[in-house]
Amino acid sequence: MTEGRGMRNDGDARDAPDMDPASAAVIIEAAREHVQRELTINRSAILATWSIVYLLGYGVVWLSVKGQQPFRAPAGWALALLVALAALALGVTAQLTERATSGVGGMSSQRRRIYALSLVVGLLGVYVMEAALSSAGASQRVLSVYGASAPLLVAGVILVAGTAAWLSWYMFGLGAWLIAVAATSGFAGPAGVWAVDALAVGMPMLLLAAIQLRRRL
Amino acid sequence: MTDEGLDPVIHAPARLRLMVTLTSLPEGDNLSFTRLQDLIGLTPGNLITHLRKLDDAGYVQINKTGGGVSALTTVALTRDGRAALDRYTASLRELLDRVELPRQP
Repeated sequence: MTEGRGMRNDGDARDAPDMDPASAAVIIEAAREHVQRELTINRSAILATWSIVYLLGYGVVWLSVKGQQPFRAPAGWALALLVALAALALGVTAQLTERATSGVGGMSSQRRRIYALSLVVGLLGVYVMEAALSSAGASQRVLSVYGASAPLLVAGVILVAGTAAWLSWYMFGLGAWLIAVAATSGFAGPAGVWAVDALAVGMPMLLLAAIQLRRRL
Repeated sequence: MTDEGLDPVIHAPARLRLMVTLTSLPEGDNLSFTRLQDLIGLTPGNLITHLRKLDDAGYVQINKTGGGVSALTTVALTRDGRAALDRYTASLRELLDRVELPRQP
């Protein structure tokens, strides 16, 4: 659109009877492009941010447990870094979503709220269950596999379920991939699970971010 | 090229942009007055004037909720508005085709 954010047309309240059909077609095309750009969530940046969480956060946790004989547990500083990166990614996701959807109300807004709430409730369940497993005497080996993969499983299920609301096969594919990785990465053992999750989730996310960026440009 | 057959309520640059912007939202969604103003780039007074014309024609629905500092005005396209824009773009395509046809070999 030729008029950007913040520009004001004080004389535009009057009608413009001299607008010819060709100009009208140009206005329609420009307005469509402008609104599409402004109201679309920047998925590319969100995916790139989360790929850093997996590649760096999970990668650092893996470095802290690799070669432990016998296996003990991930280092506290590595887990703290992972939590900090995840919190940062959540903040970036929230800000980018807010930027695109600010002022948009109605059904989509309600859908987004319920979707975000599902993720929060699901992740809360994961960590309460981890405490329950620990209290029931689960070994550090089991807790490590659970801690790495259970959040992925919940995120995957929520993405797949979200397809029902947004009818997005892209979301379904990503969710199904997260479920597959979460379900199988535990076979790599309590240390290897962190490396497998880091690469199997982080790399495709980075690739998807690049694809989305290309589409956006 | 003439603009015969084009809905005069929509056939004005600012209102056309308003209609296209609102139609990009899924049915059941609305846009706040301030975001709409931000997207279209009109002064509040001009935006109100154009929205009134679209409202009078039944193309948009304007809702006001709350009061004072928490007052919120939202705008949504009605079904009639969506249908009117569809008719407008179809007529526009027809007019443009009529002009382009003689150029074909």
